[in-house]
Amino acid sequence: MSAVLVIAAKDLRQRFRDRSAIVLGFVAPLVIAALMSFAFRGTERFHISVGIVDRDHGAVATAFSDFMRSPDLKDVVTVRTFDDETSASAHVHSGAVAAAVVLPAGFSAAATTGSGVSHIDVLTNTDSALGAEVTRSLVASFVNQVNADRISVATAIAAGAPVSQLARLSADASKLRVPETVVNLPIGSKPLKAVSYYAPSMAIFFLLFAVGFTSRSFFSEVNDGMIDRIAAAPVRASSLLFGKALSVLAYGIASLATVLVVTSVFFGAEWGNPVSVAALSLAMVIAVVALTALVIALARTDRQAEGLSSIVVFGLALLGGNFVSISAAPPLMRRLALFTPNGWALRGFVDLTTGARGAGVVVQPVVAMLTFATVVGVGATLLSRRLIVR
Amino acid sequence: MDIVLRCEDLTRRFGDRVAVDRLSLTIAAGETYGLLGPNGAGKTTTIRMVCGLLRRDSGSVHVGDLEVTERALAAKARIGYVPQDVALYPDLTARENMEFIGRLYRLHGKTLRGRVDEVLALVDLSDRGHDRVESFSGGMRRRLNIAAGLLHRPTLLVLDEPTVGVDPQSRHAILESVRSLGASGMAILYTTHYIEEADRVCDRVGIIDHGKLIAEGTRRELVSRLEEHDRIELAASGNLDAFVTASRAIEGVDGATVSDHHVQLLARDGRRLLAPVLEAAEHNGAIVNSVELIEPDLEAVFLHLTGTALRE
Repeated sequence: MSAVLVIAAKDLRQRFRDRSAIVLGFVAPLVIAALMSFAFRGTERFHISVGIVDRDHGAVATAFSDFMRSPDLKDVVTVRTFDDETSASAHVHSGAVAAAVVLPAGFSAAATTGSGVSHIDVLTNTDSALGAEVTRSLVASFVNQVNADRISVATAIAAGAPVSQLARLSADASKLRVPETVVNLPIGSKPLKAVSYYAPSMAIFFLLFAVGFTSRSFFSEVNDGMIDRIAAAPVRASSLLFGKALSVLAYGIASLATVLVVTSVFFGAEWGNPVSVAALSLAMVIAVVALTALVIALARTDRQAEGLSSIVVFGLALLGGNFVSISAAPPLMRRLALFTPNGWALRGFVDLTTGARGAGVVVQPVVAMLTFATVVGVGATLLSRRLIVR
Repeated sequence: MDIVLRCEDLTRRFGDRVAVDRLSLTIAAGETYGLLGPNGAGKTTTIRMVCGLLRRDSGSVHVGDLEVTERALAAKARIGYVPQDVALYPDLTARENMEFIGRLYRLHGKTLRGRVDEVLALVDLSDRGHDRVESFSGGMRRRLNIAAGLLHRPTLLVLDEPTVGVDPQSRHAILESVRSLGASGMAILYTTHYIEEADRVCDRVGIIDHGKLIAEGTRRELVSRLEEHDRIELAASGNLDAFVTASRAIEGVDGATVSDHHVQLLARDGRRLLAPVLEAAEHNGAIVNSVELIEPDLEAVFLHLTGTALRE
């Protein structure tokens, strides 16, 4: 058995005797993934209630109500009507509705004649940011259509159509739809189940803890003189480092595989194509190995290693979207997630579980994670030259 | 005489401080060499350079015909390293620790199991092989620490203060083990700041202070540098005056006194003179009941060479 395997086997033996490593690597991700998927069960299908305050009662206002109740939106929006803004505002504030739309008196007249008040107010609550955003988008879509109709009519009249035909022209224009629209084409075709997100998310999050306990155990070995004892044997420094890396790799793969099997069998998580899942998992574990090497190279004591690894674990988890889906994060956070291996891994796992196809779904995250691992690993190697023989 | 370890002009600096300064020494097969000096004298730095754990700034270290830096792996395979602190995994059993370390030295299968049995027996821990090290006493850990350095039957055993913090019983066992290993032909480099240990187990002693090897030799060679005399004290009866007069005539005896059945001789190399002194007693009608040879010790040598006591 080569020195690399001897060291890796010894490390794994110690790891599996350490209850905290078992809890962090195997028990905790399963428990937390189960709890979070239970908590978020039913949120896979997006649905909001929207209030409408119609103080106009005109044709355009009625058209808006009809639009919000249209068959296209019935799975997404439930409309509630309110008599006044005060009542609507109270319901928004209480969370009974995600937002409320106020159609002011004179809205229809202004829309058809181009004079008077022509704005729509949307009452929102910061606690329901996504619902408010969806409501605003729906209102904007309706307003765009109204504006397009107005421009059509105005253009017709300017071209010589008789003003007496205004009502008919307006009616005809309202039947038209804006020809150029933005169409969402989701990469995946299946809805994302909570457990299918939180299973890999928590598995990766707790895998990151391997950075902490591996680097701490390394410095514990330094303090206990075991690294000296190993270095005094006919063992290359690289064998020591590769042995340690191999043990993290084996532990990480075992941890991810356990979470995958248990969440698939008992919680109904869908991970996607096994080969692709294996590729993503392996790349993520390699990134964790590189991060561990970096922490060991940067730290000088076990306390420093503990502090650094905590920063790494929670920093990456926050940026990469292990706690909250990155799709719901601001644009800056979404961009920052692309600098994290866990962000890329989650992106890959989400694409796989939602049925996305194509080589890019896996290749791009894998390449990104391996690039991250290479950069970090090279940095760690340069920093750790003096680690074994000073 | 097979030279197992040869250090030449070994030097190591830490910043402006010279930790080891042009240190040279050799150790032959079967010889136990004690590196004696106070804490911070450069003993551990020297040992770490010998074992390839610390880069040297200049000089060379050969284990047999192998230079430690150039042929690092082959040279390390010949060295058994016993660090000052117990370097074992507390969460593994004694046997698991030994097997792990043995495998690092490329021992496998039956050979490995046999060697583990052998070293556990040597340090009297055969019956504790399957117990975790965390359950061991300090002395047992120390003994196992030494066993780990012997697994691959090294030609050079390097022990860094192996008895620090050890109870008297375990200390005795460790020193006896060192003596028997030396007698078996192993070359041993033994660092200590306990004079009595150097006295007891070392064939030669090097005195190191402020990184410099300021003197080396056998105990007697070192003591003789002081030009001090041994004292031969005899409890005797009979014609003591004649015995004293005859003793004074022996070459190397520089003084002789008698009082109340006790004769005290001041002698250069008293051990060599014991036989002629006893012969003189017999020829002059003195009956010797007991003899005590009191030699100048290494503490005095250290004091003489450095101007400070070793334990300061």
